[in-house]
Amino acid sequence: MPTPRLHWMRGRAEAEGGETRALEWIGCDDAGAAIARVVRLQGPIHTGWRLYRAVALDTEARVVQLRPPPPAGADWLACIGGQVVGRAALPLQAVRTAEAALGTG
Amino acid sequence: MSETPLDKIRNIGITAHIDAGKTTTTERILYYTGVSHRIGEVHDGNTTTDYMEQERERGITITSAAVTCEWKGHRINIIDTPGHIDFNIEVNRSLRVLDGAVFIIEGVAGVQPQSETNWRLADRYNVPRLIFINKLDRTGADFYRAFDTLKEKLDIVALPLQLPIGVEDQFSGVVDLVEMKAIIWEGGELGAKYHDAPIPDDLLEKAREYRQLLLDTALSVDDAAMEEYFEAGDVATATLKRCIKAATISGAFRPVLCGTAFKNKGVQPLLDAVLDYLPSPIDVPGIKIAAEEGEDEHAERRRIKADPKAPFAGLAFKIINDKYGTLTFVRVYAGTLRSGDMVQNTTRGHRERIGRMFQMHADKRAEIKEVSAGDIAAFVGLKDTMTGDTLAAAEDPVVLERMAFPVPVIDISVEPRTKESVEKMTIGLQKLAGEDPSLRLRTDQESGQTILSGMGELHLEIIIDRLKREYGVEANIGAPQVAYRETISRAVTETYTHKKQTGGSGQYAEVKIVFEPLERNGGVVFENKVVGGSVPREYIPAVEKGIRVQADTGVLAGFPTVDFKYTLIDGKYHDVDSSALAFEIAAKACFREGMKKAGPIILEPIMDVEVTTPQDHVGDVVGDLNRRRGMIQNQESSGSTIIVRAHVPLKEMFGYISDLRSMTKGRASFTMQFHHYDPVPRNIADEIMTKSA
Repeated sequence: MPTPRLHWMRGRAEAEGGETRALEWIGCDDAGAAIARVVRLQGPIHTGWRLYRAVALDTEARVVQLRPPPPAGADWLACIGGQVVGRAALPLQAVRTAEAALGTG
Repeated sequence: MSETPLDKIRNIGITAHIDAGKTTTTERILYYTGVSHRIGEVHDGNTTTDYMEQERERGITITSAAVTCEWKGHRINIIDTPGHIDFNIEVNRSLRVLDGAVFIIEGVAGVQPQSETNWRLADRYNVPRLIFINKLDRTGADFYRAFDTLKEKLDIVALPLQLPIGVEDQFSGVVDLVEMKAIIWEGGELGAKYHDAPIPDDLLEKAREYRQLLLDTALSVDDAAMEEYFEAGDVATATLKRCIKAATISGAFRPVLCGTAFKNKGVQPLLDAVLDYLPSPIDVPGIKIAAEEGEDEHAERRRIKADPKAPFAGLAFKIINDKYGTLTFVRVYAGTLRSGDMVQNTTRGHRERIGRMFQMHADKRAEIKEVSAGDIAAFVGLKDTMTGDTLAAAEDPVVLERMAFPVPVIDISVEPRTKESVEKMTIGLQKLAGEDPSLRLRTDQESGQTILSGMGELHLEIIIDRLKREYGVEANIGAPQVAYRETISRAVTETYTHKKQTGGSGQYAEVKIVFEPLERNGGVVFENKVVGGSVPREYIPAVEKGIRVQADTGVLAGFPTVDFKYTLIDGKYHDVDSSALAFEIAAKACFREGMKKAGPIILEPIMDVEVTTPQDHVGDVVGDLNRRRGMIQNQESSGSTIIVRAHVPLKEMFGYISDLRSMTKGRASFTMQFHHYDPVPRNIADEIMTKSA
């Protein structure tokens, strides 16, 4: 795999079984501007009265419902700006998808 | 024995389907680690772990054997387990006490039925495991096809850590995807000599592809490793190994290695992987204490962590009797114990003195003076400790989670040939049943015969053979019988009054009991709902006992009655004439009367049968299974052979092997294991009842 061109760093995280795990990875350019994100899908989630089968968090950590729900095994979304550019089973695969979409990979 | 630091101990099992190469692999491990100076072979009957006469004669493993070896500064305690389903209890109890397991998968057939069964058992006990695809030298071997069966049949995320170099007789080594190098065996010296080499050009692209998959999957379990990867574009070998180990322990994925133990290739890297990826006793969460009555079995409870300084806690998981007495194998979870110490058997509520202690090496033993957390040892001198019992220090008398034992499905009657042998046979059978929780003994109330219940024809054959060789008892054996069960199909409320009040001290008891069917495997459940003292409290246990005893002899054909609940709701007593005995008699009679009205049915064991046959005999095999009341579940092809899976009543499977051989000119084989109990059809039930009458 070519070396990633973006600089990736941990974004939001959550405590999971006694350790903190990243819910998202943020890809920045050389100037430090965030231009891509890979986001872990969650769900089902109860929010208020509703049950969401699959959700992601947007840049402001608001719950975004995914319709239709993604197929099994597509647990990470690759996002550029507000756009979803691909899905992957694993975060590194999602990173490659995002970089490929940007043409930096 | 406890000089090795805990983090350098590995307690592992080697398990697989029959003939996949468990004992062969164990034999190589003992040779390469310097424990033995020659390699024994199963077909020559001279392996270390198959030490029983019957094992050597038949070329199969019957009992699990514990051996210890040293590899690169670590101590590895290994238990080699049997592959035949009849001896599944050995796998069950071994997996219960081990910290990790190596599953050996045959490179030609892929995942086979017994591997599936053992895999589910390992799931039950959350055992971290490695997979070794073996026999890659064999004609028809295909690593990638065998690998695909892991996903298909076990539904797991499997991840190769190695790829084979060459196949069948050209198999020469493996590509190590962790260090991106080739490992080549040089031939000669029984595989002890091997060297690193660059990855062959024709495999480089494939190796890169699989290495990327390994990185993608393994690093996803560790954010710090991901950051290292983003920083450098790769990770250090130590980081990758740390991630693989974490994922192996959590079960996030299952690492896969490969080789051919028989041709002495691939075993040393497997040993390295045991050290690198399987947990030491301190890497696992610790063993749970048992649930209190009424507590959810699956709820999180206190765990006993491996600590030599903590109060002692251990689990007796195996008992064997030999000429020196009874040896009790114990997995020590916490504390340190010395010869002569006293411990509490917290399962049975009595104290035991520890006599001599041994480290076992198959049938050989080395005396040790103390044993600590993380170790497995054999104790002599325990008088009343059975398989599954907890031994603990008096200051912290914990009870550890018990083991689950399989249900026997085949009965045989056994009678000594001479009157002098009666006592010897009783003692022998009791000792054998004490060793083997999957063997049950009972006396048929009507015929007075001793009935042995076991897991299969082979299991009982070996028991009878051991009775003869080890206890000198010649016995007449009845034909194997299906272990039928009885149950009820509807609820009924029955009242029975037991009254004998003619002269002398009388007997009086009345019970009103509701009998209700339960789901399969529901067992026999008692509930007391008596209010107002209509049955005094001291007589309630007699009612419970009366039904349980009577349930051993069902009303239809005398088979044990299972899967029902009985609730005592009312009754009457007499101040002078009532007694525990009177209530027990009333309960027994109430059962007999109530069961007849509750729609009694006979249940028979249904087996999961897998027949592997050449394509041109599939029609004959399927037709024959249908004639045997089989329900075909599916058919799939594996190379030039077809695998037919069916559920077939055990009754129809006696002697199947000879019919199958003649039908297919000896080219097909089959395996079977217990699946579930089902009601027998009416005509068969009539036949069974007529026979029992």
